[in-house]
Amino acid sequence: MTAAILPVASGRATAAAFWRKLRRYPLLGLASVLVSAAASGSAVMVPILLGRLVDLVADRGSTHDLLRIAAWTLVAGLSAAVLTGTARWLVAEWGVRACADLREEVLDHALRMDAARLEAAGSGDVASRVTDDVEQVTDATQLAADVFGALVTVAITFAGFATLDWRIALAFLVVFPVYAVSLRRFLPQAEARYAAERRAVAVRTQSLLSTFHGARTVHAYGMEDRQGARVEQASRGAVDARLKAVRGFLWFANVMNYAEAIGLTAVLLAGFLLVRADASTVGEVTAAALLFHRLFGPLGMLLVTFNDVQSAGAALARLVGVADLEPPARRGGDRPTTRPPTSVVATAVRHHYLDGPTVLHDVSVEIPAGESLAVVGESGAGKTTLAAILGGVFPATGGDVLLGGRPIQDLAPDELRRVVGVVTQEVHVFAGTLADDLRLAVPDATDQDLHAALKLAGADEWVAALPDGLATRVGDGEHPLTASQAQQLALARIALVDPPVVILDEASAEAGSAGARQLDLASAALLADRTAIVVAHRLTQAQTCDRIAVMAHGRIVELGTPADLIAAGGAYATLWAAWHR
Amino acid sequence: MAEANPTRRLIGEMFRRQRRGVALTAGFWSLHQVCEALVPVAIGLVIDQAVGTGSTWAMVWSVLGVFALFTALTMGWRTGLWFLSKAELEEAHVLRLQVVRRVVTGRGISTERQTGELLSIATSDTQNASELLEIGSRVVSASLGLVVSTVVLLRIDWSLGIGLVIGIPILVLALNALGPVVERHTSAKQESLGQAAGTASDLLTGLRPLRGFGGVEEAARRYRTASRTSLRANIGAIKAGSAFVSVSTFTTGLLIAVVSALSGWFALRGRITIGELITIVGLAAFLTDPVLNLAHCVFQLATARASAARVAEVLAAPERAASGSTPAKTGQLVLDDVHTAGLDGLSLKVDPGELLGVVTTEIAAADAVTDLLAGARVPERGSVTLAGTPLQELDIADLRRAMLVEPHAVDLFGDSLREALRTDDGQVDDGAMTEAMTAASMTDLGKELDHALLDHGSNLSGGQRQRVAVARALLADRPVTVFRDPTTAVDAVTEHAIAEGVRAHRATGGRATVLVTTSAPLLDRCDRVVFVDGGRVAGTGRHRDLLDLPAYADVVLR
Repeated sequence: MTAAILPVASGRATAAAFWRKLRRYPLLGLASVLVSAAASGSAVMVPILLGRLVDLVADRGSTHDLLRIAAWTLVAGLSAAVLTGTARWLVAEWGVRACADLREEVLDHALRMDAARLEAAGSGDVASRVTDDVEQVTDATQLAADVFGALVTVAITFAGFATLDWRIALAFLVVFPVYAVSLRRFLPQAEARYAAERRAVAVRTQSLLSTFHGARTVHAYGMEDRQGARVEQASRGAVDARLKAVRGFLWFANVMNYAEAIGLTAVLLAGFLLVRADASTVGEVTAAALLFHRLFGPLGMLLVTFNDVQSAGAALARLVGVADLEPPARRGGDRPTTRPPTSVVATAVRHHYLDGPTVLHDVSVEIPAGESLAVVGESGAGKTTLAAILGGVFPATGGDVLLGGRPIQDLAPDELRRVVGVVTQEVHVFAGTLADDLRLAVPDATDQDLHAALKLAGADEWVAALPDGLATRVGDGEHPLTASQAQQLALARIALVDPPVVILDEASAEAGSAGARQLDLASAALLADRTAIVVAHRLTQAQTCDRIAVMAHGRIVELGTPADLIAAGGAYATLWAAWHR
Repeated sequence: MAEANPTRRLIGEMFRRQRRGVALTAGFWSLHQVCEALVPVAIGLVIDQAVGTGSTWAMVWSVLGVFALFTALTMGWRTGLWFLSKAELEEAHVLRLQVVRRVVTGRGISTERQTGELLSIATSDTQNASELLEIGSRVVSASLGLVVSTVVLLRIDWSLGIGLVIGIPILVLALNALGPVVERHTSAKQESLGQAAGTASDLLTGLRPLRGFGGVEEAARRYRTASRTSLRANIGAIKAGSAFVSVSTFTTGLLIAVVSALSGWFALRGRITIGELITIVGLAAFLTDPVLNLAHCVFQLATARASAARVAEVLAAPERAASGSTPAKTGQLVLDDVHTAGLDGLSLKVDPGELLGVVTTEIAAADAVTDLLAGARVPERGSVTLAGTPLQELDIADLRRAMLVEPHAVDLFGDSLREALRTDDGQVDDGAMTEAMTAASMTDLGKELDHALLDHGSNLSGGQRQRVAVARALLADRPVTVFRDPTTAVDAVTEHAIAEGVRAHRATGGRATVLVTTSAPLLDRCDRVVFVDGGRVAGTGRHRDLLDLPAYADVVLR
C-alpha cells in the first residue's frame, strides 16, 4: 500500500507520555510499588530460610528449631501468596487505567486530526491503531505488571544476597555485563524489527477492513479467490515480519540463558572458595544458589515477555504518535438560541492536496446571508474541494474565507460547526439506536426535537413504521437502511444542529436516483432561510438555487442566476440543454 | 452448550494441521523442562560433591556439567519456541484466511457482527486461538518435567516421592476448579474490549460525515463510555486473575514448607544426606514451576477458547441465502409474478442482447429488483429464473460468471487502477482495459493504469469511483450485467457519454444489460424501459414514448 503512515513516537517520547498517564494515579502507583516490594521480600525469605535449614541440619540442630524454621517458611509463603496476588492486581489496575486514558486520548485526537493528514493516511491506519494497537497495549498491561513484579524481585533478591555474604553477591554481579552487552546489540535491531512488524500489521488491517467493507462487491463478482489472495499476501507479510522479529529474539534469549549459567557458576565457584577458606557456610552457599535459581523464574519471565513487551512498546509508540498530534484548540461557548444570518465570502482561494497539483485557482465568490449558491461542473472540476473549504472541513492552502465577516480560521471547531453544517459525499449510519445516531449531532436533543428534524428531512413516516421507532438499532449488521434513508438521516442531523450556513455536497446524488425526488424536497426544506452552497449534479436542483457557479479546471467560469446563465448561452446553457435533450 | 461442537471441531483441526510443529515444540520443550528439573539436582550435587568436600577436580567437573546442562536447556527452549512461533503464526494465518473466505465467498454469511468486530475476529481472535497450540505443547512438557522430578524424588526417598505424586495432581485439579470463574471474567473483558473497538472503528469510518455535522465531541464522549465499560470489565478480570495467582502461589508455598520440614527432619535423623536435602528442597521449588505452568495454561485456555469459539461461530455461520448446484446457462432472465417487500406481482423479461431500463416510483421497489437479481433475496411468491432455472437453484460460482449485479455502493480494491479494474485472474490486455475505461468516460483519470489508489480509492471523488465501478463491470463482461443507479454522482455531460459508452460496449454478442435507474440520459439509450409503479408494471416501451405517462415523466424528468 502506498498510504502515508501516521507519525510514530520515538522511544523516549513514548516512555515520557506513558509515564505522564501513570502519574495521574499517584496513590495506586505508590501502593503498587510498596506491595510489590513486600511481595518480593516475603518470596525471597523462603530460600534464605531453606539455607538456614541446611545449616541447621549440618550443625545437627534440634527438632524444635527445625519446626520454627518450617513455621517461618510457611508464614513467608503465605504472605508472599497474598502480597503477590495483591501486587499483581494493583500494578495491573494502575496500567489499565493509564491505558484507558491513553486510548481515549488517541481516539479523541484521531477524531480531531488535521483533515489533510487523515486523508493521506487513510482510515485503515487509524482504525488499526485504535483497535489492534489498543488491544495489544491493553493486553500487555498485565504482562507489564508481571515484568514490574519480576524487576522488583530481582532487586530484592540482590538485597537478599547481600544479607548472606557480600562476596557471593559480588559474584552474582558477573551476569550484568553480559546482559548489558547483549542488550546493546539486541535492542536497536529489535526496535526496527518490531516497528516493521507493526507496519506489516497495519497493511494487513487495511486489507481486511476494505475486504469486509466491500464484501458485497466481492460476492457480486464472485472474486473471493482474487480478494482472498490479496488478504493472504498482506497477512503473509505480517507473518514473515513477525518471524524475523522472533529470530532476532531467540539469539538474545540464547545469550541470556548462558548468562544464567555464568552467574550460577560464579556463585557456586565463589561459594566453593569461600567454604574452603572457611569464610562461609554450606548453608549460605545453598541459600545463595537457591536464591539465584529462583531468579531463573523472573529472569526467564523478563526474557520470554521481552518479545511481547517490545512489540507492545511499538504499538504504544504508534498510539502516542497519534495522542501527541496537536489537536486544534477547543474553545467552548453556549449554543446560540437564535440563528444569526451569516454570509459566506471567499477571496482568491487556492488549494492543492499535499504534493498534488493545484485543484483550485484563485476562486472568489460571495454568498449573502440567506442566499443559495449551486456549484456545477464536470467531475474533477474542484466542486467538492471548494465546498469543503467553504465548510471549514480543511483549510485552503491560500486565500481567505470569511463566515459572517469573521475569518474561518478564527472560529473554534465547536463554534464553526454551529455556524456551518456540511453534508459530505460519504454517508454513514452510526451503530446504535436511531436516536443515538441523531444525538451524535446534538446530544441533549429531546425526542420532540428528533421527530421535528426527521419530519423536516421527510423521514418521519418510515421512522414511525420501524419496529421500535427511534429506538430501532441501526448501523452495521443491524436494521438495514436504504441509501436514501441514510441520506435523510444525514439531513436530519444538520436540521437538528440548525446552523445558519449549510453545505450540501452531492447530498441527493449519492443516494441513488430512485429516491432523489424525496431528497430534493428534504434538502429544499433544510435550505430554506439559510445561506447554502449546493454541489449539484441534478440541474433541477441547481435551478432552484438563487445563483449558480459553473466550475471548470479549478476556476469559476460562470456565475449568475439560472435565468441569466441560460440566456447568456455559455457553459451552463450547454449543460442545461444536455440535461433536457 | 450448542456452540461447543464447532469450537471443539475447530480446535481439533488446528492441532491436526499443525501436528508436526506442535510435536516438535512439545519434544524440545520437554527436553528443556527435564534440564530445568536437573538444575536443582546439579546444584545439590555440586554442593555435596565439590563445595562440601573442597575438591578442585570435582569443582572443575561441576562447572563443565553446569555449562553442558545449560546448553541443552537453552537449545531445547529456543528450538521449541521457533517451531511454536512458526506453527502459531501459520495457524493464525490459516484461520484468518478462512474467516475472510467465509465472509466473501458465495452469498456471504448472515451475522450480527459489525465490520469492526469481524476485523477483531480476523486479527486478535485468530491469534488468541492459535495460542491453543502453545498451551498444548506446554501441558506436555510441564507434565514431563513433573514426571522427571517425581522420579528423582522417588529415588531419594519413596515416601516423599509418593506424597508429591499424590499431592501435586490434587493441587492442580483444585486450581483447575477456579478456571470457570476466571474464564467468565476473561470473556466479559474480551467482549467489552471488542465492543469498544467496534465503536471506535464505526466512528472512524463515519469520520468525514461526523465532522461535517460537528459530532466529534459527542463521538469522543461515546467512545469514552465504551472504553470505561471495557475498563471495568478489565479490572474485574484482573482481580479474578490475581485471586487465582494468590491461591496458586499459596499452594506452592505450602508444598515447599511441608516438603522442606519433612526432608529437614529426615536429614536430621540421617535418613538422607545434605546434598539430597538440597536437591529435594530445590526440586520442590522447581516443582512449583510446572505446576504453575499447568495452572497458567488453564488461565490462558479461557481466553484462547473464547477466541476459538468466536472464530468457529463465523466459520459455521449460515449462508445469507441458499444456492444450489445446477450449472448456469445463459438465456432469458425472467421475473414472474414476484411478490416481496416493495413488489406486488411484478413480471418482466430480459432477452439476450437487450438493453433494458427499469424505472420505479419507490426506492423499495428498486431495492427489491436489485436484491432479487443479486440473489440476496428470495421472492415470497413468484420466481426469478435465468434460462428457466430459479436463481437460488443455480451453482453460485457459475451464476456469478453468467450474471453480475454491480452494487450501488462502490467498493474498490487494490492499490492501483489496474488492480481495481481486474476481477479475475484471466489475462486482460491493456487495450481491453482502456476500452472499458473509455466507455465509462474515465478520461480525467488519464491513461495511467498504474495510477495509485489510496485506501480503497479514497483519493477519488464520488463520480470517479462510480465510473471506475462501471468500467470494472464492463471489463468483467458477463452475459447479463445489472447496474443500479450507476451515474448518480456524475455530472450531466459525463452521464451522456457513459450512457453511449455502456450501450456501445454491451451491444454485441447477445449481452443483456439491465439499468435500474431514473436517469433520463441512461433510459434514453435503452431498447425498452419497464416502468414499475405500486410494485407492478405500469408501462413498457421506449423512454420517449413512456414520457407521455405523467407518473413516469414525474419520476424521470426532474
